[in-house]
Amino acid sequence: MKKDRRDFINTCFRFAAGAGIVGIAGVLAVKSQKGDFLWQLDPSKCTQCGRCATSCVVTPSAVKCIHVYDMCGYCDLCGGYFRPNVKNLSTGAENQLCPTGAIKRSYVEDPFFKYEIIDELCIGCGKCVKGCGAFGNGSLQLQVSHDLCVNCNQCAIASDCPSDAFSRVPIDQAYKFAGFKSNKKI
Amino acid sequence: MKNKLILWLSVILLVVVVAFMAKDLFVNQNKIQENVYEYDLKELRKVDASKISHKEVKQIRIQANELLGIATDNKDQIYVSTDENILVLDTAGKQINSLRVRGRARCVSVAEDGNIFVGLSNRIDVRKPDGSLRNSFVIPGEKAFITSIAIDGDNVYVADAGQKIVHHYNINGEKIKEIGGKNLDAGIKGFVIPSPFFDLLMGRQGELWVVNPGRHAFEAYNYNGEQISSWARTAMSIEGFSGCCNPANIAMLSDGSFVTVEKGLERVKIHLPSGDLKSVVAAPELFEEGTVGIDLAVDSQDRILVLDPVQKMIRIFEAK
Repeated sequence: MKKDRRDFINTCFRFAAGAGIVGIAGVLAVKSQKGDFLWQLDPSKCTQCGRCATSCVVTPSAVKCIHVYDMCGYCDLCGGYFRPNVKNLSTGAENQLCPTGAIKRSYVEDPFFKYEIIDELCIGCGKCVKGCGAFGNGSLQLQVSHDLCVNCNQCAIASDCPSDAFSRVPIDQAYKFAGFKSNKKI
Repeated sequence: MKNKLILWLSVILLVVVVAFMAKDLFVNQNKIQENVYEYDLKELRKVDASKISHKEVKQIRIQANELLGIATDNKDQIYVSTDENILVLDTAGKQINSLRVRGRARCVSVAEDGNIFVGLSNRIDVRKPDGSLRNSFVIPGEKAFITSIAIDGDNVYVADAGQKIVHHYNINGEKIKEIGGKNLDAGIKGFVIPSPFFDLLMGRQGELWVVNPGRHAFEAYNYNGEQISSWARTAMSIEGFSGCCNPANIAMLSDGSFVTVEKGLERVKIHLPSGDLKSVVAAPELFEEGTVGIDLAVDSQDRILVLDPVQKMIRIFEAK
């Protein structure tokens, strides 16, 4: 059957409308999946530049230091806790590297000390992470805390990160820290 | 006339503003801004030049996958252990022999009589001066991991980082005793070894000096295994040993001073027998950041041989 011009234009409009509806549905479906991916930083790429503390839209930053106890040497002279050139290894504020005093040091047994991160005080600057990596075995690591992160479409820290350490990760692999012997969760 | 002047001034002002905006947009875009929270470790890697007592006089390149240990004999021949063999070099650095080993030769020591002791994970191979195998024995224990060997006559002292103990054997592989196990009644706190670096050497009076890296300490033991002396220096500054566990390796000069090398801050220093810092041999800036496993040896001229496993060479330092 031969179509006249009116039928042809009608068919084209219908086809365009259908394609539009399918396209919009597809985009909405993809957007609805956005919640299944989260921002996370890769400690193996992180250079502890300090920008996680200042670039995040959340204050204080959603990036926090976590402590992988399985890796920790429980050192007396902890490079992540003490400033360089400290006169004595005490918990005096003048000896602490952390600008907010967010690490608690407690005696275990000679010569071991335990270091705990106080999340409320941690601003994610990464000073302790750098000190631990330089003088210890890297048991302190930075991670995006997902109960604080608002999961921006474009993460402000990811844009500022000089080492390209941020990426979106599936929700079932929300953390990328290294060194756990088992699949413990924080 | 006046309107024209205002017009021109406006145009110039506009051009200046546009140029400023363009510079701000394009020129400064990639400039790394300072961050108040950045922890700059570069300062720690600098050493006051007045404290440096030695100068590097020679570099000997070594062809190997992994450089693991270094030793010298009484003729100043150099022995380098690798993941495949023991390379023997003359004093000029020319290779004169290569001894194939069965495994990763983590450490090597040479006795006064020329016998060569090679530490291979949990096994010690004793080779005659010509390189042929004399005998071999295994250190029992699942965690045994040999990191250093010291020889005094027929006595063989073995640093076992895995089991955190020093084993005393004779040359035939018969165990005599263990040294350094925790015994608070005897004043021995025990070795703290968070990483696989645990070195020892024989002192000038036949005493055994053992590094206790987790305590940043040196401990001396007599033949009976009694602790007779110790000193510790814990500090990130140049006067002490930094990090979780240092020094990583040691050697001794003819005057009884200790040559030490650290990881984390890769620096080679000389400490007096009392433990006080005497001088610096090599500052961290001479090594690539993150270098781990630097080993030391001293020859009869008190030249310090530094095995650099990253740059794959022996670096020889002489007093200035």
